[in-house]
Amino acid sequence: MSTPDLTPRPEQSPKRQRRRIMPAVVLALVVVAGGVVITQALSTAVDYYCNVDEVGERSGCDTGRRLRIQGTVGEGTVVAATGATLFDIRFNGASMKVEYAGEPGGIFKECLPVVVHGVFDESSGMFLGDRVEVKHSEDYVAVNDDRLEEAEADSAACDSSA
Amino acid sequence: MTLDPPSTVSTTSRRGTATAATRAVGVLTIVMIGWLGVFGLLLSPADRDQGDAVRIMYVHVPSVWLAYLAFIVTALASAVHLFGKSHSMQADRVAGASAEIGVVFMAVTLVTGMLWGRITWGVYWQWDARLTTTALLFISYIGYLAVRGLEGSRSQRARRSAIVGLLAVLEVPLVHWSVKLWRSLHQEATVLGTDLDVSLDGLMLFSLFVGVVAFTLLFLWLLLHRSRVLTMIDLSAETGLDAALAQRRAEGGVTA
Repeated sequence: MSTPDLTPRPEQSPKRQRRRIMPAVVLALVVVAGGVVITQALSTAVDYYCNVDEVGERSGCDTGRRLRIQGTVGEGTVVAATGATLFDIRFNGASMKVEYAGEPGGIFKECLPVVVHGVFDESSGMFLGDRVEVKHSEDYVAVNDDRLEEAEADSAACDSSA
Repeated sequence: MTLDPPSTVSTTSRRGTATAATRAVGVLTIVMIGWLGVFGLLLSPADRDQGDAVRIMYVHVPSVWLAYLAFIVTALASAVHLFGKSHSMQADRVAGASAEIGVVFMAVTLVTGMLWGRITWGVYWQWDARLTTTALLFISYIGYLAVRGLEGSRSQRARRSAIVGLLAVLEVPLVHWSVKLWRSLHQEATVLGTDLDVSLDGLMLFSLFVGVVAFTLLFLWLLLHRSRVLTMIDLSAETGLDAALAQRRAEGGVTA
């Protein structure tokens, strides 16, 4: 019978050690990332999300605070001024004048619902927006559809709530 | 001295992970993805408001569908492992494979959604209910995969990850209904809404249907292959241990 080899086995290679601790590192990063996501979402949620007709009416939608206001861009109301864009947003029969510092991005145009972030200016009676997001509805209409249908849909979009 | 794997593994290695059935599913998947390209890029019309950006939907919606499906399969397989009498390790491997696929396609969902958002909304990201809950779902399943890789025996790791898999799936309905529960920049469901009213042009709807079928087949194909790969990894680890023990015994002159 030969003598057993009792010399200690070599330590684990750095690569193998890294492989062992990597899941724990990823898990720690996941916890941090989750915290960041929740914090960011909550800090944005501080700005109340109100429809035009709720401003000054619903609790939290006071004009003295920063808001996110949802409404449909009024037909024929978009005016490009120097360094700003003026337009009306409407919802449930209520209307509000908006001054956005810049040119709205996305597919911004009349009769489409938008969400404007900003503050209400009591002196001018305008909502001063610093961010405009175009809210696309769940309706998808082919571009080459019948013109009559398109006109009716456009009209309906302008009339309806966002 | 060599540590040759036993014949079972070497045989499997030569064969790969494919069978006649998986090859058939693979071919069908390729055909359906080809059809998706034809319908999504050529035959379906542009949208009145979004223009050609609507075509992103044919990848975005099937991706999120696939991710939801993958996470539900993970939960079901986790339940089979956790509550089944045999605590099947094969169920654990299916759970892991499915979660890996789900994470990849949730990433595709987020990226395509951000690109669409930049074109349509005017911003890549907004911390609203749908986007935030989707980001949390994505992060949760990365966490699930990390839990699978933590130290411990195979059965310990399987049990831990099964519990996480069963908890994380509870986020899926929250993500889907977030646009109903909270005011959101993201539009409500076009196809799977509560009123079952589909507000989608006919050819757009068909293209979306082709996408969902193609991605479901892709999921099945990936799941079969990845589960088999995980089986081979486990088998290799087990036989590797047996070989190491045999080597030690041989060095000590001990016969098994």
